[in-house]
Amino acid sequence: MSAQNRDAADWLPNDLGGVATAPFERVEHPMLPWEKRCHALADVLDFRKIISTEEKRRGVEALGETTINKLSYYERWAVCFANLLFAKGVITPEELALKMAQIEARFNRSGE
Amino acid sequence: MPNHDHGHVDTEGSGDYTPGYYEILERSLAELLVEKGRIDANDIRREIEVLDSRNPALGARLVARAWCDAEFKKRLLANGRKACEELGITSYEDTELIVLENTESVHNLVVCTLCSCYPRAVIGLPPDWYKLKPYRARAVKEPRTLLKEFGTFIPDDMAIHVSDATAQVRYLVLPQRPIGTEDFTEEELAKLVTRDSMIGVVRLDPVQVHPGEVP
Repeated sequence: MSAQNRDAADWLPNDLGGVATAPFERVEHPMLPWEKRCHALADVLDFRKIISTEEKRRGVEALGETTINKLSYYERWAVCFANLLFAKGVITPEELALKMAQIEARFNRSGE
Repeated sequence: MPNHDHGHVDTEGSGDYTPGYYEILERSLAELLVEKGRIDANDIRREIEVLDSRNPALGARLVARAWCDAEFKKRLLANGRKACEELGITSYEDTELIVLENTESVHNLVVCTLCSCYPRAVIGLPPDWYKLKPYRARAVKEPRTLLKEFGTFIPDDMAIHVSDATAQVRYLVLPQRPIGTEDFTEEELAKLVTRDSMIGVVRLDPVQVHPGEVP
Protein backbone atom coordinates (compact mmCIF):
# COMPACT_ATOMS: atom_id res chain seq x y z
CA MET A 1 0.00 0.00 0.00
CA SER A 2 1.40 3.40 -0.87
CA ALA A 3 1.63 6.01 1.84
CA GLN A 4 -0.57 8.33 -0.26
CA ASN A 5 -3.48 5.91 -0.16
CA ARG A 6 -3.03 5.07 3.42
CA ASP A 7 -6.27 4.82 5.32
CA ALA A 8 -6.03 4.89 9.09
CA ALA A 9 -8.68 2.15 9.29
CA ASP A 10 -6.31 -0.37 7.67
CA TRP A 11 -3.65 0.07 10.33
CA LEU A 12 -3.10 -0.36 14.02
CA PRO A 13 -4.42 2.68 15.88
CA ASN A 14 -1.00 3.78 17.12
CA ASP A 15 1.00 2.95 13.95
CA LEU A 16 0.97 6.38 12.41
CA GLY A 17 3.44 6.70 9.56
CA GLY A 18 1.81 8.58 6.66
CA VAL A 19 -1.63 9.01 8.23
CA ALA A 20 -3.29 12.42 7.78
CA THR A 21 -3.32 14.23 11.12
CA ALA A 22 -3.96 17.54 12.79
CA PRO A 23 -1.35 20.23 12.10
CA PHE A 24 2.03 19.92 13.80
CA GLU A 25 2.59 21.93 16.96
CA ARG A 26 5.92 22.05 18.78
CA VAL A 27 4.51 21.28 22.24
CA GLU A 28 6.50 20.33 25.31
CA HIS A 29 5.64 20.14 29.00
CA PRO A 30 7.86 19.36 31.97
CA MET A 31 7.19 15.83 33.17
CA LEU A 32 4.84 15.55 36.16
CA PRO A 33 6.15 13.52 39.11
CA TRP A 34 3.65 10.70 38.53
CA GLU A 35 4.55 10.60 34.82
CA LYS A 36 8.19 10.15 35.68
CA ARG A 37 7.31 7.38 38.15
CA CYS A 38 5.19 5.74 35.45
CA HIS A 39 8.14 5.86 33.07
CA ALA A 40 10.41 4.43 35.77
CA LEU A 41 7.83 1.68 36.40
CA ALA A 42 7.94 0.76 32.70
CA ASP A 43 11.72 0.44 32.84
CA VAL A 44 11.54 -1.62 36.03
CA LEU A 45 8.89 -3.93 34.53
CA ASP A 46 11.23 -4.41 31.56
CA PHE A 47 14.43 -5.18 33.47
CA ARG A 48 12.57 -7.39 35.97
CA LYS A 49 11.34 -9.35 32.91
CA ILE A 50 7.66 -8.78 33.75
CA ILE A 51 6.63 -6.61 30.75
CA SER A 52 9.02 -5.87 27.86
CA THR A 53 9.05 -2.59 25.95
CA GLU A 54 7.61 -4.34 22.89
CA GLU A 55 4.83 -5.97 24.95
CA LYS A 56 4.01 -2.53 26.31
CA ARG A 57 3.79 -1.11 22.78
CA ARG A 58 1.44 -3.87 21.69
CA GLY A 59 -0.51 -3.46 24.92
CA VAL A 60 -1.10 0.21 24.10
CA GLU A 61 -2.23 -0.71 20.55
CA ALA A 62 -4.65 -3.21 22.09
CA LEU A 63 -6.42 -0.39 23.94
CA GLY A 64 -8.00 0.60 20.61
CA GLU A 65 -8.25 3.95 18.92
CA THR A 66 -11.02 5.45 21.07
CA THR A 67 -9.19 4.83 24.34
CA ILE A 68 -5.81 5.81 22.90
CA ASN A 69 -7.20 9.15 21.74
CA LYS A 70 -8.93 9.81 25.06
CA LEU A 71 -5.94 9.13 27.31
CA SER A 72 -2.67 11.00 27.69
CA TYR A 73 0.63 9.30 26.93
CA TYR A 74 1.32 7.98 30.46
CA GLU A 75 -2.35 7.29 31.20
CA ARG A 76 -2.23 4.80 28.31
CA TRP A 77 0.84 3.17 29.81
CA ALA A 78 -0.77 2.82 33.25
CA VAL A 79 -3.92 1.20 31.81
CA CYS A 80 -1.84 -1.05 29.55
CA PHE A 81 0.28 -2.23 32.51
CA ALA A 82 -2.87 -3.12 34.46
CA ASN A 83 -4.26 -5.12 31.53
CA LEU A 84 -1.00 -6.98 30.95
CA LEU A 85 -0.49 -7.72 34.65
CA PHE A 86 -4.03 -9.18 34.79
CA ALA A 87 -3.40 -11.23 31.63
CA LYS A 88 -0.12 -12.57 33.04
CA GLY A 89 -1.77 -13.42 36.35
CA VAL A 90 0.63 -11.18 38.28
CA ILE A 91 -2.24 -9.29 39.93
CA THR A 92 -6.00 -9.69 39.94
CA PRO A 93 -8.60 -6.99 39.22
CA GLU A 94 -9.92 -7.44 42.78
CA GLU A 95 -6.50 -6.77 44.31
CA LEU A 96 -6.10 -3.68 42.17
CA ALA A 97 -9.54 -2.30 43.04
CA LEU A 98 -8.83 -2.80 46.73
CA LYS A 99 -5.40 -1.17 46.51
CA MET A 100 -6.76 1.82 44.57
CA ALA A 101 -9.47 2.36 47.18
CA GLN A 102 -6.83 2.21 49.94
CA ILE A 103 -4.56 4.72 48.24
CA GLU A 104 -7.43 7.07 47.51
CA ALA A 105 -8.51 6.88 51.15
CA ARG A 106 -4.95 7.60 52.26
CA PHE A 107 -4.91 10.85 50.24
CA ASN A 108 -8.38 11.87 51.36
CA ARG A 109 -7.38 11.48 55.00
CA SER A 110 -4.14 13.44 54.64
CA GLY A 111 -5.96 16.20 52.76
CA GLU A 112 -8.43 16.89 55.55
CA MET B 1 -14.93 3.09 42.66
CA PRO B 2 -12.39 5.87 42.23
CA ASN B 3 -13.64 8.75 40.16
CA HIS B 4 -12.14 9.74 36.82
CA ASP B 5 -11.14 13.25 37.77
CA HIS B 6 -7.57 14.15 37.01
CA GLY B 7 -7.12 15.82 40.38
CA HIS B 8 -6.10 19.42 40.78
CA VAL B 9 -2.54 20.30 39.93
CA ASP B 10 -0.55 20.93 43.05
CA THR B 11 2.88 20.25 44.39
CA GLU B 12 2.98 16.76 45.82
CA GLY B 13 3.59 16.67 49.52
CA SER B 14 2.09 20.10 50.09
CA GLY B 15 -0.70 18.49 52.12
CA ASP B 16 -3.74 19.03 49.92
CA TYR B 17 -2.60 17.17 46.83
CA THR B 18 -5.25 14.93 45.29
CA PRO B 19 -3.91 12.48 42.75
CA GLY B 20 -6.00 11.73 39.67
CA TYR B 21 -7.39 8.32 38.75
CA TYR B 22 -4.43 7.30 36.61
CA GLU B 23 -1.89 8.37 39.18
CA ILE B 24 -3.72 6.25 41.77
CA LEU B 25 -3.57 3.41 39.26
CA GLU B 26 0.19 3.88 38.79
CA ARG B 27 0.81 4.02 42.55
CA SER B 28 -1.36 0.94 43.10
CA LEU B 29 0.45 -1.15 40.50
CA ALA B 30 3.85 -0.23 41.93
CA GLU B 31 2.77 -1.00 45.52
CA LEU B 32 1.20 -4.34 44.57
CA LEU B 33 4.32 -5.39 42.66
CA VAL B 34 6.49 -4.57 45.69
CA GLU B 35 4.11 -6.40 48.07
CA LYS B 36 4.22 -9.46 45.83
CA GLY B 37 8.00 -9.36 45.70
CA ARG B 38 8.01 -8.95 41.90
CA ILE B 39 9.96 -5.71 42.12
CA ASP B 40 12.23 -4.29 44.81
CA ALA B 41 11.00 -1.40 46.96
CA ASN B 42 13.93 0.72 45.72
CA ASP B 43 13.60 -0.14 42.01
CA ILE B 44 11.43 2.83 41.05
CA ARG B 45 13.49 5.38 42.98
CA ARG B 46 16.71 4.03 41.47
CA GLU B 47 15.23 4.11 37.98
CA ILE B 48 14.14 7.73 38.46
CA GLU B 49 17.76 8.55 39.31
CA VAL B 50 18.82 6.88 36.06
CA LEU B 51 16.19 8.86 34.10
CA ASP B 52 17.40 12.10 35.70
CA SER B 53 21.00 11.33 34.77
CA ARG B 54 20.24 11.07 31.03
CA ASN B 55 20.13 14.35 29.12
CA PRO B 56 21.25 15.92 25.83
CA ALA B 57 24.64 16.91 27.32
CA LEU B 58 25.70 13.24 26.96
CA GLY B 59 24.85 13.16 23.26
CA ALA B 60 26.55 16.52 22.82
CA ARG B 61 29.79 15.04 24.21
CA LEU B 62 29.59 12.20 21.68
CA VAL B 63 29.04 14.64 18.83
CA ALA B 64 31.83 17.01 19.88
CA ARG B 65 34.26 14.10 20.29
CA ALA B 66 33.34 12.82 16.83
CA TRP B 67 33.99 16.26 15.32
CA CYS B 68 37.43 16.44 16.95
CA ASP B 69 38.58 12.84 16.62
CA ALA B 70 38.19 11.17 13.23
CA GLU B 71 39.03 7.72 14.61
CA PHE B 72 36.39 8.06 17.33
CA LYS B 73 33.87 9.15 14.70
CA LYS B 74 34.58 5.99 12.71
CA ARG B 75 34.00 3.86 15.79
CA LEU B 76 30.85 5.84 16.68
CA LEU B 77 29.36 5.31 13.23
CA ALA B 78 30.37 1.63 13.24
CA ASN B 79 28.91 0.83 16.69
CA GLY B 80 27.20 3.58 18.67
CA ARG B 81 26.77 1.49 21.77
CA LYS B 82 30.47 0.60 22.06
CA ALA B 83 31.59 4.18 21.34
CA CYS B 84 29.27 5.40 24.13
CA GLU B 85 31.02 3.03 26.53
CA GLU B 86 34.34 4.74 25.72
CA LEU B 87 32.85 7.93 27.22
CA GLY B 88 31.35 6.04 30.15
CA ILE B 89 27.80 6.24 28.78
CA THR B 90 25.99 2.95 29.34
CA SER B 91 23.05 1.80 27.20
CA TYR B 92 19.74 0.40 28.29
CA GLU B 93 19.40 -3.34 27.98
CA ASP B 94 19.10 -4.77 24.46
CA THR B 95 19.09 -1.46 22.61
CA GLU B 96 21.34 -0.76 19.64
CA LEU B 97 22.41 2.81 18.92
CA ILE B 98 22.88 3.72 15.27
CA VAL B 99 24.50 7.10 14.68
CA LEU B 100 23.56 8.79 11.39
CA GLU B 101 25.99 11.33 9.96
CA ASN B 102 24.71 14.49 8.32
CA THR B 103 26.81 15.51 5.30
CA GLU B 104 26.73 18.09 2.50
CA SER B 105 24.39 15.81 0.57
CA VAL B 106 22.32 14.02 3.26
CA HIS B 107 20.26 15.30 6.17
CA ASN B 108 19.00 12.73 8.71
CA LEU B 109 15.77 12.82 10.66
CA VAL B 110 14.67 10.45 13.42
CA VAL B 111 11.08 9.42 14.21
CA CYS B 112 9.17 6.58 15.81
CA THR B 113 5.98 5.97 13.84
CA LEU B 114 4.90 3.12 16.13
CA CYS B 115 5.23 4.82 19.48
CA SER B 116 8.00 6.96 20.95
CA CYS B 117 11.31 5.08 20.73
CA TYR B 118 14.12 7.57 21.17
CA PRO B 119 17.87 7.49 21.94
CA ARG B 120 17.13 8.24 25.58
CA ALA B 121 20.33 6.70 26.94
CA VAL B 122 22.20 9.58 25.30
CA ILE B 123 19.68 12.46 25.18
CA GLY B 124 17.07 11.70 27.87
CA LEU B 125 13.31 11.44 27.39
CA PRO B 126 11.63 12.77 24.22
CA PRO B 127 9.68 16.05 24.01
CA ASP B 128 5.90 15.80 23.71
CA TRP B 129 5.81 16.73 20.02
CA TYR B 130 8.02 13.71 19.24
CA LYS B 131 5.39 11.44 20.84
CA LEU B 132 2.32 13.08 19.29
CA LYS B 133 0.56 12.06 16.09
CA PRO B 134 1.40 14.91 13.69
CA TYR B 135 5.18 14.50 13.94
CA ARG B 136 5.06 10.70 13.80
CA ALA B 137 2.67 10.60 10.87
CA ARG B 138 4.24 13.33 8.78
CA ALA B 139 7.97 12.75 9.30
CA VAL B 140 7.90 9.71 7.00
CA LYS B 141 5.57 11.24 4.43
CA GLU B 142 6.57 14.87 4.03
CA PRO B 143 9.78 15.42 6.01
CA ARG B 144 10.83 18.48 3.99
CA THR B 145 7.57 20.30 4.70
CA LEU B 146 7.58 19.24 8.34
CA LEU B 147 11.15 20.47 8.81
CA LYS B 148 10.14 23.88 7.40
CA GLU B 149 7.71 24.12 10.31
CA PHE B 150 10.72 23.78 12.61
CA GLY B 151 12.33 26.64 10.69
CA THR B 152 14.70 24.15 9.04
CA PHE B 153 15.07 24.59 5.31
CA ILE B 154 16.77 21.67 3.59
CA PRO B 155 17.94 22.56 0.06
CA ASP B 156 16.20 20.63 -2.71
CA ASP B 157 19.48 19.01 -3.78
CA MET B 158 20.07 17.59 -0.28
CA ALA B 159 18.50 14.19 0.41
CA ILE B 160 16.55 13.63 3.62
CA HIS B 161 16.94 10.19 5.18
CA VAL B 162 14.22 9.39 7.69
CA SER B 163 14.99 6.62 10.20
CA ASP B 164 12.12 4.97 12.09
CA ALA B 165 13.19 3.76 15.55
CA THR B 166 12.07 0.59 17.32
CA ALA B 167 12.32 -0.78 20.85
CA GLN B 168 15.64 -2.44 19.94
CA VAL B 169 17.12 0.07 17.48
CA ARG B 170 17.54 3.74 18.40
CA TYR B 171 18.96 6.44 16.15
CA LEU B 172 20.98 9.55 16.93
CA VAL B 173 21.87 12.20 14.36
CA LEU B 174 25.47 13.40 14.14
CA PRO B 175 24.94 17.00 12.98
CA GLN B 176 27.43 18.79 10.74
CA ARG B 177 30.03 20.79 12.61
CA PRO B 178 28.97 24.45 12.43
CA ILE B 179 30.93 26.77 10.19
CA GLY B 180 33.17 29.14 12.14
CA THR B 181 34.16 26.67 14.86
CA GLU B 182 37.58 25.68 13.52
CA ASP B 183 39.44 26.86 16.63
CA PHE B 184 36.87 25.65 19.20
CA THR B 185 37.85 23.14 21.85
CA GLU B 186 35.88 19.91 22.23
CA GLU B 187 34.21 21.31 25.35
CA GLU B 188 33.22 24.52 23.57
CA LEU B 189 31.86 22.51 20.66
CA ALA B 190 29.74 20.33 22.97
CA LYS B 191 27.93 23.44 24.22
CA LEU B 192 26.74 24.20 20.68
CA VAL B 193 25.05 20.82 20.17
CA THR B 194 21.31 20.90 20.86
CA ARG B 195 18.86 18.09 21.51
CA ASP B 196 16.84 18.97 18.41
CA SER B 197 19.94 18.87 16.20
CA MET B 198 20.51 15.27 17.35
CA ILE B 199 16.90 14.35 16.45
CA GLY B 200 17.51 16.04 13.10
CA VAL B 201 14.73 18.62 13.23
CA VAL B 202 17.19 21.51 13.21
CA ARG B 203 20.66 22.16 11.79
CA LEU B 204 23.32 23.98 13.77
CA ASP B 205 23.81 27.60 12.76
CA PRO B 206 27.20 28.97 11.72
CA VAL B 207 29.00 30.57 14.65
CA GLN B 208 30.06 34.23 14.34
CA VAL B 209 32.04 34.72 17.54
CA HIS B 210 34.43 32.48 19.44
CA PRO B 211 33.25 31.94 23.05
CA GLY B 212 36.54 33.38 24.34
CA GLU B 213 35.98 36.71 22.56
CA VAL B 214 33.72 39.48 23.68
CA PRO B 215 31.27 40.20 20.87
